[in-house]
Amino acid sequence: MEIFTQLGNVFVELFKASGIMSLSWENYVMIVISFMLMYLAIKKQYEPLLLLPIAFGMMLVNIFPGIMGNPETTYLTYDQMIAQNLDPESYIKTTLSDGSVVYNVTQNGGLFYYLYQGVHLGIFPPLIFLGIGAMTDFGPLIANPKSFILGAAAQIGIFITFIGAILIGFQTKEAGSIAIIGGADGPTAIFVTSKLSPELLGPIAVAAYSYMALVPIIQPPIMRLLTTKKERSIVMGQLRPVSKLEKIIFPIVVVVLVAILLPDAAPLVGMLMLGNLFKESGVVDRIAKTAQNELMNIVTIFLGVTVGATASGTLFLTPKTLGIIALGLAAFCLGTACGVLFGKIMCWATKGKINPLIGSAGVSAVPMAARISQKVGQEENPANFLLMHAMGPNVAGVIGSAVAAGVLISVLK
Amino acid sequence: MENMQLALSLLLAGFLIVFTVLVTLIIIILIYGKIIQKAQKTVAVRREKKAIIRVEELQSQSPASDVPAGGKVFGDDPEQIPGEIIAVIAAAVDALYGEKPHRIRSVTRERKGRSSWGSAGVFQNTRPF
Repeated sequence: MEIFTQLGNVFVELFKASGIMSLSWENYVMIVISFMLMYLAIKKQYEPLLLLPIAFGMMLVNIFPGIMGNPETTYLTYDQMIAQNLDPESYIKTTLSDGSVVYNVTQNGGLFYYLYQGVHLGIFPPLIFLGIGAMTDFGPLIANPKSFILGAAAQIGIFITFIGAILIGFQTKEAGSIAIIGGADGPTAIFVTSKLSPELLGPIAVAAYSYMALVPIIQPPIMRLLTTKKERSIVMGQLRPVSKLEKIIFPIVVVVLVAILLPDAAPLVGMLMLGNLFKESGVVDRIAKTAQNELMNIVTIFLGVTVGATASGTLFLTPKTLGIIALGLAAFCLGTACGVLFGKIMCWATKGKINPLIGSAGVSAVPMAARISQKVGQEENPANFLLMHAMGPNVAGVIGSAVAAGVLISVLK
Repeated sequence: MENMQLALSLLLAGFLIVFTVLVTLIIIILIYGKIIQKAQKTVAVRREKKAIIRVEELQSQSPASDVPAGGKVFGDDPEQIPGEIIAVIAAAVDALYGEKPHRIRSVTRERKGRSSWGSAGVFQNTRPF
């Protein structure tokens, strides 16, 4: 009979320790949201490489918050150590001012706490940029450097959103972190937020990656609204071939210029261009391949799950998050609109040689935004191939958003 | 109010800095692009001129110079290289240098040693990090 009582007690204790008793309603809401994100990643294939680990990390942390738990140190007396079956010789001893001796018993943090240090210390975003650089062909940008204007124009949305965030009541550092969502560049958004307002990392990263995933839905209506049928039908001339030497010099020139003018942008731009130099130099093929594949994939996994794990229910489900999501969308739309409008100006200035649709690709989101320019252009003229032309502003947008990030960090930190 | 002033100054500063950096990059890329293109064009023209001069020299020396003095057309030991192989090699050379003046003077067998696959394996395993 006693066995049954003990068995009952075991089940009661297990039930008390289970998530059913310890989780709040916010955790359950976040678990449902994570399921929706997983659905979008798997079924709709919206940025699955990032959305899937983010959603899974979100789910895990809301089921088991301890996975993100900080390491803790408790101070025990000799008697307490013996009572807990701990060997005092194995722990660091501290003598207090009153002469008593305590032992420092350190409890390790959760798995994601340690992985998250790569985000918290700003290590992962530059490593992601290294991989992006090793995969990017800056040829279209070198062939048509005027694309840089479109990459810069699309960053205006960032600074306009900053004003909007201040008007709504966000603090300046928070506003800077929210505004960078308009750069449509996940690693940049994480990098800036980890420097300015790390407490907002969860909602900002989720908003940034969600909008990047929703580029095919958000951008086309804005592009159609701001352009005429005639403008969308413009066929652009073929780009000149770019020599290997030009491609090798490009990353060095960009790093020297950007790092001198804006040292805060140096980690992002530096790693981006280092990756590109690996690729273009052609002498470190193995390193270039590692940066493109293994390193990029490993960092993506760590970045994705830990960013998702910052979205625990109690921190995420606040009115602030709604503000971030709304402002992030505004930043993204403004960036797209500014890019297209500058595209129109360039179209007018070149007497119709530039299709304004490539301006929307200036918001980064490589290569999705360039693909959207191609798709919308082809709707009007099936024989029109804008992809390579749009890749110029697209990669310029990566550099532009890193420069904008440098401006935000240097002014607001 | 103070925040608003900061926001407006950041808007202007950000706009100016981003545009200044990127416009500077445009100028630098245009300049070095032009320099490299010009240099490469000059080198190409020089090579072409050299090649033409060489062809003219060869033609003036011996109009029927396809057959060397020794009477052998190809290789150290032409008997060991079948005509079809030589034809294929000639076609490959022509595909590679088709537009430039060229002539195949000899076809020789590569000295026997480690196979290409073996060399590739050694290279892969001994290349430093």
